[in-house]
Amino acid sequence: MEEYNSGEEVSFNADEASVSVKECIEGIIGGIDYNQNKVNQWTASIVEHSLTQLVKQGRPFKFIVNCAIMQKSGAGLHTANSCYWDTATDGSCTVRWENRTMYCVVSVFAVAVTC
Amino acid sequence: MDEFQTGEETAFVVDEVSTIIKESVEGAIGGNAYQHSRVNQWTTNIVEQSLSQLSKLGKPFKYIVTCVIMQKNGAGLQTASSCFWDNTTDGSCTVRWENKSMYCIVSVFGLAI
Repeated sequence: MEEYNSGEEVSFNADEASVSVKECIEGIIGGIDYNQNKVNQWTASIVEHSLTQLVKQGRPFKFIVNCAIMQKSGAGLHTANSCYWDTATDGSCTVRWENRTMYCVVSVFAVAVTC
Repeated sequence: MDEFQTGEETAFVVDEVSTIIKESVEGAIGGNAYQHSRVNQWTTNIVEQSLSQLSKLGKPFKYIVTCVIMQKNGAGLQTASSCFWDNTTDGSCTVRWENKSMYCIVSVFGLAI
């Protein structure tokens, strides 16, 4: 008689992902001011590092990581997401970060892979 | 001897998706000026309308639709996405739209089931 553990390992852990993403952001733009010449590099680094960390967890998921960096200048910014998936296994998490000169919003979407 | 047609009906078709998005955006904010009190409703309408049209395509995909609306104020905005998926079946499409007072960027990610 064998017991199988399921459920625990196959749903997306948003808290863990959130922590991982915050560390990536801090590591790349923590303490730096908005710089138009470098922002391209920053968004690319943030999404790549975040994705690498997520994939390292070794879970059976496809990931999409989206990052937006906006200069603080009084403009209004609004974002929305809508997802058509399996709510039992798939999930997302959004991290909002800011410093004196810019806002950074990173969204992670995880979609379970059915093998 | 059976022949199976694959590819046509189960691939992510960027042009088709792009058209759907453009129509959703035009329908929700075409001809409107940026208004802080309404922008929440607009982003919601755009993602919901897009998703509903995409699911009507009846393809075996899971979808993620994101929408960003930004007031034109001289600020810089940069976005990037990175995806870990199956390159042969999954895809994405981003539509950038603008009028005199705002920018709207909508991204759709389609993942094959």
